Amino acid sequence: MAGSGNAHLRPDALLTVRDLVMEFPAAGGRTVYAVSGVSLDLLEGETLGLVGESGCGKSTTGRAILQLPTPTSGSVQLTGRELTELDEDAMREVRPRLQMIYQDPISSLNPRRRVRDVIAEPLFIALENVARRTAMATWQDRIGELLQNLLRRAAPLRIVGLLASVAFVLWILSEAVEERAAESWLGWMEIPAAVIGFPSLAVLLLAAAVALLLGLTWVLLAVMLPFSLMSRQFGDVSGPVGLAGVVVTTGASAFMLWRTWSSFGGWAQWVNSVGLSLLTAVLAVWLIASIMQPVRAGASGVATTLSAMVVLQVFYIAGLDDNAKLIVLVASVVVDTLLLRWVLRRYRANRQVERERAEPRVREVLDYVGINPDDALDRRPWEFSGGQAQRLSIARALVSVPQVIICDEPVSSLDVSVQAQILNLLEDLKHLMGLTLIFIAHDLAVVKNVSDRVAVMYLGKLCEVSEPDAMFSQPAHPYTEVLLAAIPHPDPDAELGTERIGGELPSPMDPPSGCRFRTRCPLAAERCAAEEPEMREIAPGRFVACHTPLFGEEAPVRVELATNERRGS
Amino acid sequence: MTETGAQSPSPSDERPLLDVSELRTTFHTPVGPLVAVDGVEWSLRRGARLGVVGESGSGKSVMSRSIMRLLPKSRVTSTGNVSFDGIDMMSLGRRELLEMWGPQLAMVFQDPLGSLNPVMKIGKQVGEGLRVHRDLSARAARSTALDLLEEVGIPEPHRRIDEYPHQLSGGMRQRIVIAIALACSPRLLIADEPTTALDVTVQAQILDLLETQRAERNMSLVLITHDLGIVAGRTDEIIVMYAGRIVERASTKTLFRDMKMPYTEALFRSIPKVTDDSHARLEIIGGQPPTMTSLDPGCKFAPRCKYAQDLCYAEEPALIEVPTPTPARSSITGGDDDGEPDAGADVHLYRCFYPVGTDDAAEALERNIASGRVSEAGVVIRTD
Repeated sequence: MAGSGNAHLRPDALLTVRDLVMEFPAAGGRTVYAVSGVSLDLLEGETLGLVGESGCGKSTTGRAILQLPTPTSGSVQLTGRELTELDEDAMREVRPRLQMIYQDPISSLNPRRRVRDVIAEPLFIALENVARRTAMATWQDRIGELLQNLLRRAAPLRIVGLLASVAFVLWILSEAVEERAAESWLGWMEIPAAVIGFPSLAVLLLAAAVALLLGLTWVLLAVMLPFSLMSRQFGDVSGPVGLAGVVVTTGASAFMLWRTWSSFGGWAQWVNSVGLSLLTAVLAVWLIASIMQPVRAGASGVATTLSAMVVLQVFYIAGLDDNAKLIVLVASVVVDTLLLRWVLRRYRANRQVERERAEPRVREVLDYVGINPDDALDRRPWEFSGGQAQRLSIARALVSVPQVIICDEPVSSLDVSVQAQILNLLEDLKHLMGLTLIFIAHDLAVVKNVSDRVAVMYLGKLCEVSEPDAMFSQPAHPYTEVLLAAIPHPDPDAELGTERIGGELPSPMDPPSGCRFRTRCPLAAERCAAEEPEMREIAPGRFVACHTPLFGEEAPVRVELATNERRGS
Repeated sequence: MTETGAQSPSPSDERPLLDVSELRTTFHTPVGPLVAVDGVEWSLRRGARLGVVGESGSGKSVMSRSIMRLLPKSRVTSTGNVSFDGIDMMSLGRRELLEMWGPQLAMVFQDPLGSLNPVMKIGKQVGEGLRVHRDLSARAARSTALDLLEEVGIPEPHRRIDEYPHQLSGGMRQRIVIAIALACSPRLLIADEPTTALDVTVQAQILDLLETQRAERNMSLVLITHDLGIVAGRTDEIIVMYAGRIVERASTKTLFRDMKMPYTEALFRSIPKVTDDSHARLEIIGGQPPTMTSLDPGCKFAPRCKYAQDLCYAEEPALIEVPTPTPARSSITGGDDDGEPDAGADVHLYRCFYPVGTDDAAEALERNIASGRVSEAGVVIRTD
């Protein structure tokens, strides 16, 4: 089985996967060849069943189509658009149209969130994304894009920056202990400083080195972050909100610059002043963003901002003389508390607004999947049975009006009775909404029930692609036949299939040469080891990658040979 | 099939190996008592194969654990009689149970990874029971474990014996679990959804393995599953459970040929079959299984049943025997006469006022369609 050929691909398909290869590095410098050259296509409104044993790469294929992660090589085209070449942001824009339903419904839904939020999530992301992209298309489009790219590339630098900030704070503290101990404003610091043994020479040297790095990072960030954050949060800095943000940011920076300049001496003055004012600028942006659009910033973002603000205040207050200190301290505690309350209230209110905007759509999809929205909206996913939770997963996949849904073993963990409900539901939705599905499963009976076309996979390659009815009445590939024989029939008089596939799936780190199925194939010949079979059409609509297909022009001899062999064994 | 046909009818009046009667298991939950198994009654001959079928929550696993006495004493009470080869399982103490588990009864669970110790080598886990029950030395246990691994079809047992469970595939792990269960040659093996976590090909291998081992050791087998397809070719008798009760019990052939209980029929029809055309509409069982803490009177399946009438909601039908087992068979064409199980073993019990295939049921269905409770296609619309 090779399936390296593309004979089975059709023109004008909605989704075309060509020579998809997915390899993962393994321990010891080895490679896992998970998917090796799989080609698939999907017409609009079609269901493609993807069958195979566990470990054959069918789930990996499904994920690779979604670029989770981007495949090693090969092409994935959705309505003619090449997905493998898209960057993260562009891909995020495509994902609402390409959704996934996972095998285990309970663990694929966040147990701590309410159903209304779980299902609305793709909607929020999709909406934000659209809003941001349109905003980015304005005058600062190019700058914003450039800055964001820089920011993304600067990820390692940011880690250095983070480490540096920690060292920097320690350094300032040590400096402060040294210089100001006599002035007693930080007298209480003496004891811990003595215990941890600094300022020692080593720490100071380290801190100096780190501070240098830090300075560089900060200069870089100072250029990029405010702009980038502004454009991320508000889309357009030219609006009143954006302008206010710039004013506040600049003001805060200038103020901190002045304060720190006057409170530190020597060359530390420079580093401290620049560093602290930039930090303030960043935090100010973040804070404004959190207030104006808190859903985006998230609760943890708000918390980080506020706690960082408190740290800054401590430094600021530290520089004051004794009399002013107390007043400013009390004032800042009051202001912080009020600010926190306000931010949180805004945060909740904005969430509520988003929620209300999304609710009609969430109700609609819950209705589609047969769950009563009034009961379900405020419950959490774990309160539902497996079948219902799978309905929720389907609702979440539907909410962003996808073109293609990839169902990865959606019924494998369900009871037969619930399985039937989900399969019927998928069929109904397909007709109702014109969905195109990829249905990944190991149960052939299930795949046959839902599919318009079935592709059989083995060890990262395709064996056979065909209409289900034809494939199941007359399998062309020996592996398909083996799979069929393994299905349990609900009929006590039915023959228990006696043909069992021997052994286990070979390791995908060391796949067999030639046809990958040859090590377990009853018909394997020398040619199979030497030459990889290409996908070819042996009858109208029947594609198989095998040197000795079970029927077709060269079949009669082969079939006889096959039956003889079986009799012999 | 042929070899089991020769074995299954037991000679004369041999005492059943396992006799369960009036078994009732109650969980004491914060919202009140939950009767997970309610008055279950069945028996199993030596070497026979019993299938237990039902949806999740039907009480099939709790029943098997009650029989094994695996449930914790606090918050769970089991009453009734479970007699294993004349020994009253319910009266056994912890120490006596330890003597029973392994050489007498053994169990295979659904999740092989969860039932193996991840930090213990396979050989040691397989040999553990042997060392405890047979007093074997470490060396003897190891060599027996090697034989067992070979018997359950582990390739390269010499290498595998020193590996850990995570190094094996799902199918191999389930083979190890079976090897552990078989180690002390139990007389009864309870397999609780042994293949649910596995692929079809591996599932077939594991079921074949269970069957060959059972036949070789003349062991009794209880196969618990939600899939009627699995038990069809591999059991002598089937129990169908719903809401903790047995709703139908018959020999496998009789059950598939002449199912009486609407629930069994519904379960059967909801299985996608390879022989059906692609996109064939599956018959679903509408609604949800009942909430076990607050059961309504009447038949527990009534709200989801397409035949249900007022009587079904008011009164719970008793488990009754099919009056004359023969006439119903004529409805199926081409039934073979030779392979019939002997009459003594062929008890067909069901719990329904309107059994499938009778005129009463047909009339009841018509009435339900007329009243709009059931759609033309036979799907329950209102599960009041």
